[in-house]
Order: sequence, then C-alpha cells, then structure tokens
Amino acid sequence: MSFTALRSPRAWLGPLSVLALIAVVFFLGERMNFGPQQYMQLILDGLRGGTIYALIAMGFVTVFNVTGIINFAQGAFVMLGAMLAVSIYDSSLPLMPAAKLVVAVIGGIAGTTLIGMLLERLTIYPARHSSPLTLIIITVGAYISMQGLALIAWGAKPYVLPAFTTLDIADKTFRIGGVVLKAQSLWIWGTTALVLVGLAYFFERTLTGKALRACAINKRGARLMGISVNRMSLLAFALAAALGAIGGIVVAPTTRPTYDMGLVLGLKGFVAAIIGGLVSSPGAVIGGLLLGILENLAAGVTRSGMKDIYSFIVLILVLLYRPQGILRAGRKPVEAG
Amino acid sequence: MSRRFSALISLLVLAAMLLAACAPSATPEPAQPQPAETEAPAPTEAPAAPAETEPAAQVGSTYKIGFASAITGPGSSLGEPERNTAEMIADQLEAQGGVTGPDGVLHPVEVIIYDTESNPDTAVSVVRRLIEEDEVQVIVAGSLSGNSLAIVPVVTEAEVPYISMASARSIIQNPETGETNKWAFKTPQENLHSARWQALYLENIGVTKVCHLYENTGYGKDTFNQATAAFGEAGLEIVYSDTFERTDTEFGGQMAGVQVAGCNAVVVGAIPPGASNVTVALRDFVPDLPVIHGHGTCNQAFIDLAGPAAEGVVSPCGRLLVVDMLPDDDPQKPVLQKYIQDYSEFTNGEPISTFGGHAWDAMSWAVEALASLDEGMSLQEQRAAIRDYIEGNIKNWPGTGGVFNITPDDHLGLDYEALTFVKVEGGRWVYYPPEQW
Amino acid sequence: MLRRALARYPNTAACLGMALGLLILGWIEIVQPGGFDFSDITGGLVTLDTMVRIGILSIVLVGLNLLMGYAGQISLGQAAFYGMGAYASAILTARYSLLGIPVAIAQSWWWPWLAILFGMIAAGGLAYLIGRPILNLRGHYLAMATLGLGIMFYILFRENLGVPGDHITGAFDGITAVPRLRIGGFDLWPISRYYFVVWTVALICLTLALNIVNSRTGRALRAIHGSERASQAAGVDIAHHKVQALVVSAVFASLAGSLYAHFQAAVSPKPFDFAGSLELVVMSAVGGMASIWGAPFGVGVILILKEVLRSGLRQVLRGASGEHEIVFYGVLLVVIMVFMPEGILVWTSAQLKELRGRRAVLPPGLERSP
Repeated sequence: MSFTALRSPRAWLGPLSVLALIAVVFFLGERMNFGPQQYMQLILDGLRGGTIYALIAMGFVTVFNVTGIINFAQGAFVMLGAMLAVSIYDSSLPLMPAAKLVVAVIGGIAGTTLIGMLLERLTIYPARHSSPLTLIIITVGAYISMQGLALIAWGAKPYVLPAFTTLDIADKTFRIGGVVLKAQSLWIWGTTALVLVGLAYFFERTLTGKALRACAINKRGARLMGISVNRMSLLAFALAAALGAIGGIVVAPTTRPTYDMGLVLGLKGFVAAIIGGLVSSPGAVIGGLLLGILENLAAGVTRSGMKDIYSFIVLILVLLYRPQGILRAGRKPVEAG
Repeated sequence: MSRRFSALISLLVLAAMLLAACAPSATPEPAQPQPAETEAPAPTEAPAAPAETEPAAQVGSTYKIGFASAITGPGSSLGEPERNTAEMIADQLEAQGGVTGPDGVLHPVEVIIYDTESNPDTAVSVVRRLIEEDEVQVIVAGSLSGNSLAIVPVVTEAEVPYISMASARSIIQNPETGETNKWAFKTPQENLHSARWQALYLENIGVTKVCHLYENTGYGKDTFNQATAAFGEAGLEIVYSDTFERTDTEFGGQMAGVQVAGCNAVVVGAIPPGASNVTVALRDFVPDLPVIHGHGTCNQAFIDLAGPAAEGVVSPCGRLLVVDMLPDDDPQKPVLQKYIQDYSEFTNGEPISTFGGHAWDAMSWAVEALASLDEGMSLQEQRAAIRDYIEGNIKNWPGTGGVFNITPDDHLGLDYEALTFVKVEGGRWVYYPPEQW
Repeated sequence: MLRRALARYPNTAACLGMALGLLILGWIEIVQPGGFDFSDITGGLVTLDTMVRIGILSIVLVGLNLLMGYAGQISLGQAAFYGMGAYASAILTARYSLLGIPVAIAQSWWWPWLAILFGMIAAGGLAYLIGRPILNLRGHYLAMATLGLGIMFYILFRENLGVPGDHITGAFDGITAVPRLRIGGFDLWPISRYYFVVWTVALICLTLALNIVNSRTGRALRAIHGSERASQAAGVDIAHHKVQALVVSAVFASLAGSLYAHFQAAVSPKPFDFAGSLELVVMSAVGGMASIWGAPFGVGVILILKEVLRSGLRQVLRGASGEHEIVFYGVLLVVIMVFMPEGILVWTSAQLKELRGRRAVLPPGLERSP
C-alpha cells in the first residue's frame, strides 16, 4: 500500500481499528495482571489453533475457487480424517507404533480424500447446474449425513490419537521462560508449512495445478482450452478433503476427536477463509492465524464463553468493511456464483 | 434424465448399504435379544422376583414405559448409555414375561424408546406422543436439564409421572417458590452435593483461594453456581473463574488466568472430553496445584482421555465407580455389581457410566411402581398410583446413584453422602474416603 | 360459476380450502366422531403437537420465503429473529419481576399479547437497522453475514445477553413457566384450542404475504431477484424494498417465536442455534422458496417426515434409532435438492402441468424430450 493510499480517511480505518483493538486487549489484560508471559502464551496458542483454521480455510478456498460452492461439508472432512486415523491406529495391525501411526495418517488422509471424491460425484456433480443456494443446502445435507454415519460407526464417545513425538497420550512439553510449548504444536506448524510448499509447487509447477488455477480464474476460458471442468471440480473436492483430513489428524492429539468435532472447526475455518477473502490460499492462512490469535487473546482477557461471538463479530465486520478480504485492495464485493 | 435417475439409484443404494453395514456394528445390543443370556442373572426388582418361582396364572394388560434420551446431538454421550440401559431392562422384562401385580396377574411391559435429539422441541414432541398416542403409564426421559425442564409442564398438565435423568434441581422444585413439582422426579445426584464434598476436601487440605474452570454447558454452569454457594458457606473464595468449550483445542486463556490469579487449587466442572483436555492443560501449566473435579468426570473415559495427567486428580463420585473397593456392608454394593455385570454383558463390554446408572435407577422405580398396580384401573388412575407409589415407597432404596429416600418435599431423596470421594491412582479411580485425607 | 371463481382467484380458493381442511381436522380432534381423534386418521403418525408446530414454523417460513424466494436475499440466521420473539415473550411474561413490572399488569390477560407486539417491534426495528448495511452484500457474502448474526444471537441467548449471571435468559436451561395465552377469562389452551389460534395467525400471515407478492412491492421484489441492476435502472428503490422484505420476515419470525414460547411454556437457546437456522432454510428449499404456498408445505413435509421416521423407520429397519434417522434425513435432503431444486411443491405442480399439457395441447412428436 503506497502512502498516497493512506490519505483517504477510509484507509486509516483499518490500521486504527487494529490499534484500538490491541489497546483494548492490553487494557483488559492489565486488569487481570497479565504479564508478557501470558500474552506470549496466548499468541502461541492462537497460532496453533489458527494453523488448524488455516488448513480448513484452504479447503474452503480451493473448492470455492473452482466450483463457486461454499462447502459446508468441509468440517466433516476434518472429523473423518481424525476418526479414520484413530480407527486405523487402534486396530490390530501387527506393526510398531511408529509405523502404525504413519499408516494411520496416510490411511486417514487417503480415506477422507476418497470420501470427498465420492461426495462430489454423488451430490455436487448431478446438481452442478443448480443455484449456489441449492448447492449450499446440498453440502449441508451431505454434512448431516456424514456426521450421522460417523455417529453410527464410532458412537458419541471421544477417542485418543497419541502425540506424534512420544507416541503416547502425554505429549512432550517444552518450557521457555514459563511459556509452555507442546511438541505437537511443532508438528502442526511443520505439517502446515509442508502443505503450503506442496500446494505452491502443485499450483505453480504442475500441469494439473495450473489447470485447476485456470478453472478458478475463468471457467469458460478453461473449458475452451480443453480443461475438463468437471474433473477439476472432482480434484478440488479431493484436495479439500485431504486438507481437511490433514488438519483433523494433526490436531487430534491435542484434543479428543468426537463424531461432531467438525461443525465448530468448519465454521471457524470458514470465518478464516472469509477474512482472507475467500479466493486466496495465502489469505486463508493469514486469516486463520489472525483469527486464532484474536480469539485466544480476546478470550484470555474476557470471558471465554463469549469467545465464539468475537469470531463472528470479526466475520461481520470484515464482510461489511472489507468483503474482498484483508489482503487485497479494492472495495467492491465480488459477485458470487 | 436417465443419468440423473441412475445417480439417484446409486445414491439410494449407497445409503442403504451404509445403513445396513453400520447398523449391526454400531448397535450390537438390540439385534437379537437372547433369552438364554438374560435369564441367567437373578432379577433384582424385588416385587417381581417371587413371580419367577410360580407360573403366572393370568396375563393382564400390557404396561408401557415411555423412554426418551438424547441419543443424538450434543447430549449423546449421556443419552447413549441411558438408551442401552433402557434396552437392557426391556430385555430383562421380556425374559421375565413382565411384572406381576400384587393380585398375582402378570403384565407384559413394553418400553417405548425415542430420541430427544438433545433438542427441547423434539423432547416435548416425543413426550406428548408417549402420553397421548402410546398411552404410557410412566415416562423416563430427558438427559439434559434444558430438555427435562421443557418436559415438566407437559407431564404436569397431562398428570403423568415423570422421572428425569438430568441433574438440575429446578426439574423437581420451583426455584422461586420452593414448591415441589408434583409429577416430576429425578435420579441424578446434584452439583450442590458435589460442591459440598469439594468444599470439605479443600478445607481439609488448607486451601482458601480457589480457581473454578467449567465447561460452557448447562452442567458446567450449574457446577459453578453450586460451588459459589457451597464454597461461600465454607469460607472459601473463588478468585478466578472461566469457561471453556467441549471442543476447545487451546486453553491458554484459562491457564493464563489461573497462573495470575494466585489460587491454591483448581476446581473443574466438566464431563469428558473437555474435562480431560483441561486437566492435561492444567498439568502443563500449573503442575503444583491440586485439581478437584465434579461428579461429571466419574468414568474410566476421563482417565483414558487424560492419560498420566489424570494422576492425583480427586473428585466426589457416585459409588458405581469404585464398587470393588467399597466395604462389604455398603447397601449399594450388590446393586452396583449387578448393574455393571448386566450392562457389560448386554453391550459387549461398553464402558460403564453413571449416566446409564441414572437410567437404571429411573427405570427400576418405574418397573417397581408398575408392579404395585392392581388390575382394573383406568390409565389415569394407574398414572396417579404410580406417582404416589414413587413418592411414598422409594425409601431406603439402594440404587446406583445412592440410597434414595423420596419424600413429598424431595423428589430426589439423596443428600451429599450419596456421593463418595475418589482419587486417580495408577490409571484408575480408587476409593479415597475422608479418613485417608 | 364456482369453477370460474376458483380459476380466477386460485390463492383465495386455496386459502379457503386450507382453512376448511384445518377446521375439519380441529373439529375431529375436539368432537372425536366415532371415537376417532386427529392422530387416528393419520394412523398415529401425525399428532396435534406436530400440527401446531407446523403452523408456528409456517409463519416463519412465509416471511423467509418472501425474503429468499422473492427478494432473493439469503438468510442463514433467521432463527435469530424467531428466538428474539420467543425470548421477548418469555422474559416479559415469566421474568417480569426482573424488569420491575407490577404483578397486576404482568398477570393480566392482555400483557402477553402486548409482549408479542413488543417482540415484533423489536425484531422489526433490529431488521431495519441492520438491513441496509447487510443487504448491500450479495450471494455467499450475505449468507455468511446472516449466519454470523444468527450464531451471535444464539450466543447472546445462551450467555444471558452478555450480562454476568443467568437471571435473564437462564443460560442453557432457559426460562420456564411461560404462561398460556388468554383472551379475557377464556384460556386458549388445551392444545386443541391453541391449534386454532396458531393456524388462524398462520393463515392471516399467509394471506398478507400473498397480498404483498401480488402488490407493487412484490413486483419490485421479483424484479430485484431477476436483476438488481435492471430494476435499479427501471427506477426501483432496491435498498428500500430489500429492507422491507427483511423487516417483514423478521416480524413474522418474531411473532412465530412468541407463539412458540407460549406453546412450549419453556424457552431455551437450543432451537435457535445454527442448526435451527439451517433447518428453516432446508424447509424453505424443500417446499420451494419462490412460493408462499411452499412455506407451509415445506414445514409440513419436514416435520411429518421426522415424525414418520421417528415412529416408522423402526418398523422397517429393526434396531434403527436416532442415528439412522439423522442419516436418512441428510440423504433425503440431498436427494430432494439434487433432483428437484425448485422444491417439492413447485416440482410436482410443474410435472402435473407438463403431464396435462402434453396430453391436451402438444401434438404427437412435439413433446419436450425428457
């Protein structure tokens, strides 16, 4: 952003509101006697949670870019990834725990990807000419069915996936000047970084990735170039399912996966995607991280029961003032569909 | 059109396959009730027992018990074991042929089970259906307090005896007037009882400043409200309190609060998995503070999900958890042992939970009350008689939740001694009575 | 004569027909001719409780269809307005002492009616305030903003409106002991009486909506739905009409919420969460968004379907329980949306028309290929 752009009062609104927000956080934190250690901890936690949101948000973005659909079933992929991995790990495979975990992770991702593709073929593909709202409702129906099937398959009880470092329910913990860092957090960040690099390579360097991008930019143009938009839609769902599954699997050791874990994570990932502008993967990552930090800071200095309200206030503010997301310039909302 | 049609067919086939494939694996219990299996254990329902010996001469009308729990939705971790227990009792009744009244007439008993979907609208709908369509004699329903509170006006209006499996006091008593709700009973112990134990323990280990973390659910909020009351009486100060969500993955905010609040112990009001997750976080951040839970954690799942972090956690709990360690003269011991054995057999080793126990107590009251009915009463009279029976005859009644003493002023009939105190040691709950503190 | 009148005023005829049908159902329930009551004639599948719920939700849906089907503005947070009505009524009638309202007033028969009015004004006012900024958004963005609003309201209900404690909304457990409605000394209860109250209100709302649709505003709304730019060029004040539609839908939802509170006698936050909003959209889509008649139809299909699944699925599939019900519901939703995205009602009538048209008008060989 150049300096001339900062002359208009509207451009100041964003930075000013961010400053005001930080001031409010510090003011409230002061009342609770928070020190630097606490703030560091909150930001670290926020980064971890935000990374998961980012992975989910990238799934939303991929599907939206190629098909123009808000895929409400994205949360179900998160849940399925975690649950499938847990099931494989808990099964009686005659393997070392470490090897078993690798198999579980790969199996969870592969299984979820397959389910994602099946979902696209069975529900989205036959209805590809329907209105966006119809498609939204279809994905809602798909989410409900998948969650119901998960309830039948796994029951309502929570499961355990061991931490990747220790292969045990108790994770290794690092303490740096009072700030607690879990080894699993490093796994989460590492995996996400790898995924980002992989995605960048895929979209920039491979033909399929480029075709996918072409679809996102201009569907008709892509079709004229001989790209099968239908196949790209299938691919987008596969990719989104894999991203969701990865998110679900790496977060599983820090929580206890249940059949209904997808709804909240899906909604948060969705807010992250909107903050990032809904069409950009880097935006989704930054949106996720920002949301995570903001949520944790806000919850830390006020009552946690209102935590979700902050996310959705942010959602509405972003929609009203920067519907194009926080990254891109320009003012007009993109006409969807 | 034809492509769409084929897609439709394949979708339906897939759905059917999934349903068929999953049905037996997920719900092993209701598939084929094996009479041979359920005959083996001796029935506990005292009045029904004599009927086993002499062949019932006469078969009377069928009694119906209406049952509804939160099989799906956020309350499903409560509703599932409750449903399993209801099915187990239904099977036992079927094997026995029913209940025998004081006049020697054998009545088959049908248990009609619905899902409240953890939603008060559905709960009220199915309860109305149970009352008006299925014409049940007695209703056992409601895993969650909010749902149970919505059911109360319906049963009161229709004058049907109602036993709730949720814990809020306001289900059985109007909080403002203190009046007892005539038709409503409940079986779970209360959070106030838990809080009394917690206060006793905290005083005993010399703590005065307490942090309270609770799950953002009806149960969690109630633990906090009751703790505020009970701790205040005991002179303990809650210096910091905050909520967390069942699905939270980070607890940095709450932990930061605990760290700076300067409390000497942390009380948690939650059920697993939230309770386990917060315990892990507490061990990471404040390893030296004692952690006290409420009776929502009283199951093996809590320990399995928290791992080594659970070590040393103490909690007031029902006796179901520590049956084997109870003294032999404990009146609840035989009941608990029997329930655990039956439930494990019936569900092929599903973990025991106190929620299922609440359903067992409620269903057992209903069955016992049905067995007290004489032949030839109208439905309305039967319902009134059942209500009167439960109010008047559940005295010194050992159940899974405690020894019940129901009076017209107290439709729960438990005091804080219904709970006992336990501790996690070596990956399991062990008995930890005040003598050992 | 009669036939011509029916053809000329199809909506009036349908309204009258529906009223007559409902009247007969209510009469059966009260008089029980030949020992039959209402649920007997449906084979025990549908109860009066369900009929009342259909009536209440129809009121919400009529408004929602106006907003979504006619003005083309998606709302994934309609349960917020529905909840506002319910909580306004519940708080004003059951927590009146909190607000310092004297008992004499709070216990008078007209107070609950005033509370209903208050809820409607509050919901309408809120819709008016947020209308302009929110309705500037389009498509997915509007859907998401309303989704956020819906969840915010759910959290406010759950978190005691943001005030510490739980004395206002009762947090998760909600508000109990909401009184029944009365007119003078006449109780509008038991349920068979309330059934008439609810359906009278529902039919009035339906008629109102039909009039709106066929009025100048309705034409403007449809124009907006077709193309915002074109209608703006034609001199339609887009923002004004969109806000109008939102306000009407909010007022209807709030009214329904109040009726719900007095029906349920207890209000808790669960029905007004995200799932609640979604279910409303699903009902709207199933019945047909762009049709006022689709509103009661969609509600009816979904609620009766649930009722049938609840009691019927078990007989077909042994061991079936709540889990299977949910899966079935989800799959059915997908199937309906994939194969009849315009909603069951519109789809069916289109099919019928096509059938009839094919037989009567089209010469052989000229049918549209399927």
